[in-house]
Order: sequence, then structure tokens, then C-alpha cells
Amino acid sequence: MPTDTQIENPAWKGEDIHASSQDIFGGFLRRAQNPDGGWGYRPGTQSSTEPTAWATLALRGQEAADGQALASAAEWLRRAQSAEGAWPTSSGKDPGCWTTALACLALLKPATPPEDAIARGLQWLCATWPAAGNLLWRLRQRWPGKSEVIVRQDHSLRGWGWTPKTASWVEPTSYALILLRNVPEASRPADAAKRIALGEKMLYDRVCPGGGWNAGNPLVYGVAGVPWISPTVWALLALKNHKGRAANQESLEWLERICQNIQSPGSLALAQLCLKVYGRPAKPTEPRLDDLCQHNRFLQNVPVAAWALMAASGIPGWLKDSVQAKDTR
Amino acid sequence: MSYSNARLIPSFSRPPSRVAIRAVSSYQADVEAILWETLQLFELPVRDKTVLIKPNFVEPDIQGMINTHPIVIRAAREAFLRMGARSVTIAEGPGHERDTEGILEVLRLRDYVGPLDQAFVDLNTDEVTEVPTRTQASRLKALFLPKTVVGADFVVSMPKMKTHHWVGVTLSLKNMFGIVPGNCYGWPKNVLHWAGISKSILDINSTVRPDFAIVDGIVGMEGNGPIQGTPKASGVLVAGDDPVAVDATCARIMGLAPERIDYLKRAALMLGHLQEDKIEQLGEAILSARTPFEILPAFRQLRASPPPGAHS
Repeated sequence: MPTDTQIENPAWKGEDIHASSQDIFGGFLRRAQNPDGGWGYRPGTQSSTEPTAWATLALRGQEAADGQALASAAEWLRRAQSAEGAWPTSSGKDPGCWTTALACLALLKPATPPEDAIARGLQWLCATWPAAGNLLWRLRQRWPGKSEVIVRQDHSLRGWGWTPKTASWVEPTSYALILLRNVPEASRPADAAKRIALGEKMLYDRVCPGGGWNAGNPLVYGVAGVPWISPTVWALLALKNHKGRAANQESLEWLERICQNIQSPGSLALAQLCLKVYGRPAKPTEPRLDDLCQHNRFLQNVPVAAWALMAASGIPGWLKDSVQAKDTR
Repeated sequence: MSYSNARLIPSFSRPPSRVAIRAVSSYQADVEAILWETLQLFELPVRDKTVLIKPNFVEPDIQGMINTHPIVIRAAREAFLRMGARSVTIAEGPGHERDTEGILEVLRLRDYVGPLDQAFVDLNTDEVTEVPTRTQASRLKALFLPKTVVGADFVVSMPKMKTHHWVGVTLSLKNMFGIVPGNCYGWPKNVLHWAGISKSILDINSTVRPDFAIVDGIVGMEGNGPIQGTPKASGVLVAGDDPVAVDATCARIMGLAPERIDYLKRAALMLGHLQEDKIEQLGEAILSARTPFEILPAFRQLRASPPPGAHS
């Protein structure tokens, strides 16, 4: 017998009952919410910032959104914020740049000035820099014995790390850019414009030869890195105001090519979501999300269920044309 | 495991370690039988215990040189179950790619061990508990560790035999980086890189002591490892009850001097044996298994002098 939080599609048991993807993934997310209002990475585990943010973002876009469930999720997020304005990683202690960006995005309401929690999160995010690329770090790299250049990229272009005082990486930088783009300009911290410009340049500096992104090292010892789906999707979504640029186009083409060979629901959902935002619908040759989910019940992973729900629904508001949308090709 | 019983014993007072080298020509060989026979050489206390197998999964790889091969994982899983283990869980927190299921599906692990929601735990998203480090080589005073790891009775590190562009080689000790969850430390476990890779390897392994190691060297990786190198068919499985000794033996097979590898040198102080005379060699001799790996110029100093009569 499945537990009440297990993903279950009657069709997977051979029963001739059709359940829509929204029902399956939305139902899973609703059942997986903890009594404290948050979500863990898997049902029945301790609530954590990232899965709570993703579940909120996915459920918010549903017609049958449960107001009470979303309100208690928002309360959980507000309680989880640290005094400094950041949101913790799963440790419950250390701040995460990606968790802070996602929590702010989940709390953000369209056409409404950001509430205090978001404003403090934005301040923290814009004041938090990676250590790699700062002046001291660059001087150290010139020290004798440190001259071996393993990764070739412009370290002065700094975005965001997963955690503070480390290095810039593609995904946390993309989340921060998507968040900032969704905040009305008047409500952004003073240095937001500088961080956006630097973050976008950093992403373009890290694009893999031939398009697409990996974690953030496109060339190691001169060898071209292989792009991965998740960072490519988030970078493309963060840079969607520049959709005419060659790097965007190459990366989209790579994503379209690889789509039909994707073997996991998480990656497929993200790829479909991204292609939909760019106005390139899924091709009939692509695998079906439901089929891929059937293999391993997507490891009961809450963020994957949230991405799948978003992919199966309309384009979420926070990925539509932004408050400053313009194509700066 | 390992964690609750962890004791740091200076190497000079430890009994000799035992390491077996087995020739395995390819993944088409009877890996299950060879590994079962190998594990019988060790009296492993796994009956009624929960065993955690920690392979090395980094990112999707169609060439089969980055990640531990699923045939070896299945063979180990079956062997531990046959030895009476209460459960055997495969657990990993991939260091690069966040879509763990994507890596497993490209690897076709499901074909070998069945549905992964029952056989596998993604350590990147597991619940965590804070554990003080038993050494303070890095600046990390404590580690957030997955409850699945902390709760396991017997931990087996199962890496791929590879070179590594930051620390020279990645074997059973470096493989333990993967237990540290991305949901606390980011990808690629960047906090540990900033705390010093070699030092973090020591702190992780002193805190979570892997009880056993099985290295997949049937096809490894040489050159610009651990992801951009070239396949190296070494044709060996290396297994032992002391991960330091297993890694030292692998380094010798790879044509490298283990005492020149920074983290191995450090680990030899407290965690296991490095010297050949402290390692009881079972199965094949190192000399007959020796297949020198290409290494990046930056690691030229790790190269061992070829022993008399060996092909360099």
C-alpha cells in the first residue's frame, strides 16, 4: 500500500484511469506538505527552505491553489529567515545564496511592493559576494607557485555562490538574477543594477564552447566542458531578456537537441519549462514526463515534483516578461 | 558504522592492513563471483547490519569512465546481502550534477538493482545532523552529515580508479566527499574546496570512517581526471579493510608514489597504513597489476620510479 505521501498514478498500476499531470504532481505536493507549513526534500522529512520555495512557486500557479496551504508555507518561510536577512540551507544554520533567492521569489507577490522579509533578503543577497575574484584572491593567484591556471575564465566577473565567500556558480547566480528581475526597480537595493550587470556578464563568460552551461567551469586545462541541463535551463531563464544573443540561441539549440534523450523527469521538466518560456514547444519525439516518473517515482523528490508541475502547467508569472523586460540583443 | 565507533589510532600501533588485488579483464567477466570470492578473504562483520555502499557518481557519462560501474555495485550489494546484511543501501550525493536521478538513469543503475526509490538514497537531499569533526585539519569544526550515513552500521567506499586535477588521484578517501550533502554545502561541495580539499578529505574520513573499500579499476580514468580524462583499462578490482592502504595500493598500481600524495600522507598518520610492509597483499601482486596512468604535468612529482623489471 502506498503511504499517503507517495506519488501514485493509477495508470502506473495498469488501471485504465487517466489522471492529469497536474493532478499527480499537485496531489503529491499537497500531501507532502508538513504540518509546520514547509516541505522537506522528500515527504515526511524536516522542512527546508529550497523545497518549500519550489513547492510554493509550483502550487501558486494552480487554478485550484489552496490559499491556506500557501499561507502556511509563507509563514514557514518568514520564520526560517535569519536575523541577517538570509535563508538557511538544510543545515538550519548556514545561509545559502540560492535558498535566499528562492525564498524571496516564493514570497514575492506580483505587482506588490516587496514585504519586509523580501527587502531584507534582497539587501543580504546584494551585499553578499563570492570570495573568488576579489582583489586579494586575484593577487594570491599571481603568487609564485599559484601560476598554474586550471580553469580559464574571467574571475573578476562575480555572480553568486551557493554559499557566501566561496566561488561564483551558474545556478545560484541565475536564481538571484531571476529574483532581481522580478522586483520593481524602485524596490531594489542600491547596488542591484551593478550586481545584475556583473551577474549577466559572468554567465556569458561561463557559457560552454558550443552553447549550454555546466556548473560554471567551461574550460578546464583547456578542455571544453560538457553542458548540463539544469544550469543551462536556469542560465537561459535568467538571460531571457537577451534572447537574440548567439549564446542564448546556441544554448537553446543544444537544449532542443538533447531533449529527446533526457532520461529523468527533473531534467525533462526543466527543459520543457525553459523551451516553453522561449516559445519553443516540446516535440512529439520527446519522452513523456509521466513515463519517466514511473521508473523511480522521481525519488520522491519535492523540487522535481514542483518542476514537473510547473512544466505541466502554464508559464509561471515569475518567468513571464519581467518588470524591466526588453530584448537587449 | 564507522561514526559511532570511530577511533583514531596512530598508524604505528595498528595491526597490518589487508588489501586484495583481483584481475578482472572487463565488465563482461563474472564480477559477482570474483567479488564474492574476494570478500570471503575478509571476515566482515555485516551479519544483521545495515550496510551503506557509497559509489562515485559525479555526472552523466555515456563512456563509462567517470562513475563506478553498476555491475560492480550490484555485485557488492548481492555479496553483502548474501553475507547476511539486514539491508544494503546505495547512497551518493553527486558532486556536480544536481539531477541525481538523471545520472543514475544514464548509468542504467535501475537495470541492475531495480527501482531506485527503494534501492538508492540521494545524500544531497537527505536530512542532516551536525557532527563535530574528529580532526581539525581544515577550518571546519563540524560537518553536516546525512542521517542515512550516520545511521549506517557498515560503510563501504566504492570509487572509480581515477586521476584528479586538483589532488592527483581520487580513490576511496576522496570518494567520501560525496557523503557531504549539496543541500548544505552547494555543488560541487564548494565549501570543502575552500576549506582545502586535502584537509577536508582527512576531516571527513576521520569523522566517518569507511569500514571497507572496493575500487573499480576495471576501467578507470587517466590524464585530466576526474571527468575530462581518458578511459584507462586497468583490469583490476582492489578491496581492503583499510581505505588508506587500499588507496596506497591503487596509487602503486597507477604508477604513483602514495607518500607523495598530500592527503594520503596526512591520512597515514592516523587513519591507516601507507607503507607496503604494513599491508598484507592478497590476490595479484602489485607488480603484475601495475598499469601506469598518464598524469597532468602539474602532478609529475607524484610519479614513482618504475620498479626493477616493470614496464613504465
